[in-house]
Amino acid sequence: MKINKYLYSLLSIAVIMVMGCEKDNYEEPTSTLTGRVVYQGEPLGLRSGGVQLELWQHGYDLFSKIPVHVDQDGSFSARLFDGDYKLVLLRGNGPWADNTDSLDVHVKGSATVDVPVDPYFVITNHAFQRNGDQLTATISIQQVNTSRSLERVRLYLGQTMIVDQNNSANTVEVLAADITDLSQPITLTTTIPASLASKGYLFARIGVKANGVAEYIYSHPEQVAL
Amino acid sequence: MNAMKRIYQLAILGVLSLTFTSCTKDWLERTPKNIILEEQVWNDPKQITSLLANYYDRLPTDMGLTDQNHNSIDDNQERQAQWRRMADYDDAMWSGSTNEDGRNNIVNYPFDRWRVWNYSLIRDINLALEHIETYGVDLNAEEKTSFLAELRFLRAYNYFELVKRMGGVPLVTTQLIYDYSGDPSYMQAARAKEEEVYDFIASEVDAIKDQLGNDGSQTRANKYTALALKSRAMLYAGSLAKYNNAMGGPITTAGGEVGIPASRAQEYYEKSLAASQEIINSGAYALYQNNPDLGENFYDAIVRKTGNSEVIFAWDFLSSKDKRHGFAYDNIPRSIREDNLSSSNITPSLNLVERYEYLDGSSGELKIRTADNSDFIYYDEVADVFANKDARLYGTVIYPGASFKGLTVQMQAGVLVWNASSNSYQTIEGADLGATWGGEDYPNGDGKLLTAAGGPHRSIMEVSNTGFYLRKYVDSGPGTSTRGIRSDVWWVWFRLGEIYLNATEAALELGRDADAAGYLSTLRERAGFGEHSVTAATITMERVRNERRVELAFEDHRVWDLKRWRIAHEVWNGSSNNPDAVVYALYPYRVVRPGDATRDGKYVFVKMVAPRFRAPRFFQMGNYYSSIDQSVINNNPKIVRNPFH
Repeated sequence: MKINKYLYSLLSIAVIMVMGCEKDNYEEPTSTLTGRVVYQGEPLGLRSGGVQLELWQHGYDLFSKIPVHVDQDGSFSARLFDGDYKLVLLRGNGPWADNTDSLDVHVKGSATVDVPVDPYFVITNHAFQRNGDQLTATISIQQVNTSRSLERVRLYLGQTMIVDQNNSANTVEVLAADITDLSQPITLTTTIPASLASKGYLFARIGVKANGVAEYIYSHPEQVAL
Repeated sequence: MNAMKRIYQLAILGVLSLTFTSCTKDWLERTPKNIILEEQVWNDPKQITSLLANYYDRLPTDMGLTDQNHNSIDDNQERQAQWRRMADYDDAMWSGSTNEDGRNNIVNYPFDRWRVWNYSLIRDINLALEHIETYGVDLNAEEKTSFLAELRFLRAYNYFELVKRMGGVPLVTTQLIYDYSGDPSYMQAARAKEEEVYDFIASEVDAIKDQLGNDGSQTRANKYTALALKSRAMLYAGSLAKYNNAMGGPITTAGGEVGIPASRAQEYYEKSLAASQEIINSGAYALYQNNPDLGENFYDAIVRKTGNSEVIFAWDFLSSKDKRHGFAYDNIPRSIREDNLSSSNITPSLNLVERYEYLDGSSGELKIRTADNSDFIYYDEVADVFANKDARLYGTVIYPGASFKGLTVQMQAGVLVWNASSNSYQTIEGADLGATWGGEDYPNGDGKLLTAAGGPHRSIMEVSNTGFYLRKYVDSGPGTSTRGIRSDVWWVWFRLGEIYLNATEAALELGRDADAAGYLSTLRERAGFGEHSVTAATITMERVRNERRVELAFEDHRVWDLKRWRIAHEVWNGSSNNPDAVVYALYPYRVVRPGDATRDGKYVFVKMVAPRFRAPRFFQMGNYYSSIDQSVINNNPKIVRNPFH
């Protein structure tokens, strides 16, 4: 009889403990949102870790943004709970004109969304040509949104796929003042650093910057055999 | 039996009621022993002073000499004073515990890095202002005016700290009381324009400067403290008006919360110059020149508390009252530390050292290679390479071979051994500090010093990684670098040296080149330069900016200066190819080259990126104004966000 009493109390404590754990824990989000930042259906090249989109969800006590970082190839992904979200471009953050309209995103299981933007410039064509220890890039750019003027065009060389303003072994630039006609191809030449020459290949990338915007818009990195 | 009981009960009841009634009168009218009433506080100058001490202690700064100490309410609310942040820019790096190596690897500055939203302090000050008026009936008129002015100074100072970080903020000057109606919207103030906040600071200073008491005090606000605030704030406003609009794309918001019209620059510079001139011409302060050794003199100018005519306003500490800090414990050079832990955390960069000019006025790059870059320049003593430099270098930085506390801080990274067959030097560095080049490890060695006890060393923590140690603000008193004694050196908010630089910059911006050159030359004379070392013909904005960097290093100016000149994003652009964004080190080596008397045993210097430094400094456009916390915006929908966030 007495033993039974103990057993019961132990059992009830055990049950409470087990139940208690279940109650407190939230399940982790399982749905995924993937997408790309596009212009005319083409994903844009960006700086790795440079550009951020924000997701907002109304209707809950905690109203705080979910930052979504965009990869350098213009793609992004986020793991979320099912629900309705608003996707917003962070003002002044990317190399495109501000747009305060939000994009409705409905996530159930998974969702894919293309975020159309209005870039200041796009790189329509580029080619790399190696000449001895020199690398020459020929670039055509086109202005899309005309509210900001061109500041500079840069060529970056790097050892890995991640090549941009912050990660490069060598870089050369031409300022807007030296570019007379945007319809003509722009040529940039630089020396291939010895550290890259010994590898047998390098990655090259073009960056174009508009005045008053922090981020460049990039071409997709291209492997150049040496 | 029953009757007896009845009588007893009645008797007891009677006694009880007597006790109650007799007490009632005093009981409810006693003064509480555990609460201080408003009437008591606001009529007692001593208690008001105690409160003021608390408010002074809560003023925000990016650096300071303490660790963050007011984080109990919430992160946005209270001040950020954190000496460790001295390691986060380009004047220094972190050589302390590897736990904080993140300071050498700041991939980018977070958008909330400089965020302050301390309306808790503003509210306390507003409350005090109103309560002195309401309750302070026994204060005499003079005391009352002076206290009110002092509180308004603190509020103006705090609004300056807010506006330089956040842009325009809501200007709240009265206490807000909720009426429980269910609608708090009448309490939600929108952000003022950026220029309105600067105008508020200027008008507050004008209103209170002649009401402030505390004449001669260096730790409480007096007339000149208020003018110093105006001098600095108006200079910031002027340069924001000028340089923000000179950018390719000015940083603005539609409502003017960020962005000052360019047309106001002139007016702000005039106001700054007038305030600076009033301080300089008053004769109340003088540049510190008590020590004939110019280097030591510059150190004393900031650190010495007795007979210091230069410091206008400081955040004081006092060991005898147990108000101390561990800045000396954490930053004394490794080889002369008195405790068994810490030391050497903040180590100045070669970038900063090379900004100090030579006394002949030539640029400060150290002469370590021959003109054709074919060989090192050989020095007899390690300290010789720093000869004939601006005395402020000695006063700010402990360089190899300099002395501190009467002890020489010897530094040597290793030896360079000449290899005749390959026609080059072989670099040998010790695994431990104080190692000799000899013994079992180095059978070919000569038994002399390999790596000095003070480093520099590439990987050991708590020894300089850059080849330099910090002198400014490190206490030279005996035992002050131990945890038992600690330091009571003060933190300088304002000193006359800065006022001279403010006057220089404002005058130059206003086109009064001769005046500007005059102020700058006076300041430079104290550092060992000749009379009129800068003239109207040779003064440039570049030069003035450089002077600010070397004179005011580690006094919490660099980042704010770069911000208001709108060049922070170019100087710290996150590119490893940019020498300004990377922290450089200078390592001294002893040359071993037997048979070559002009080189053997001499010292040479190697410049390199500091080995423990990882990510180039990266200041983004969104850093010019810190982000406002989402909870603040949620609570007050009238608050607009800053650009780029």
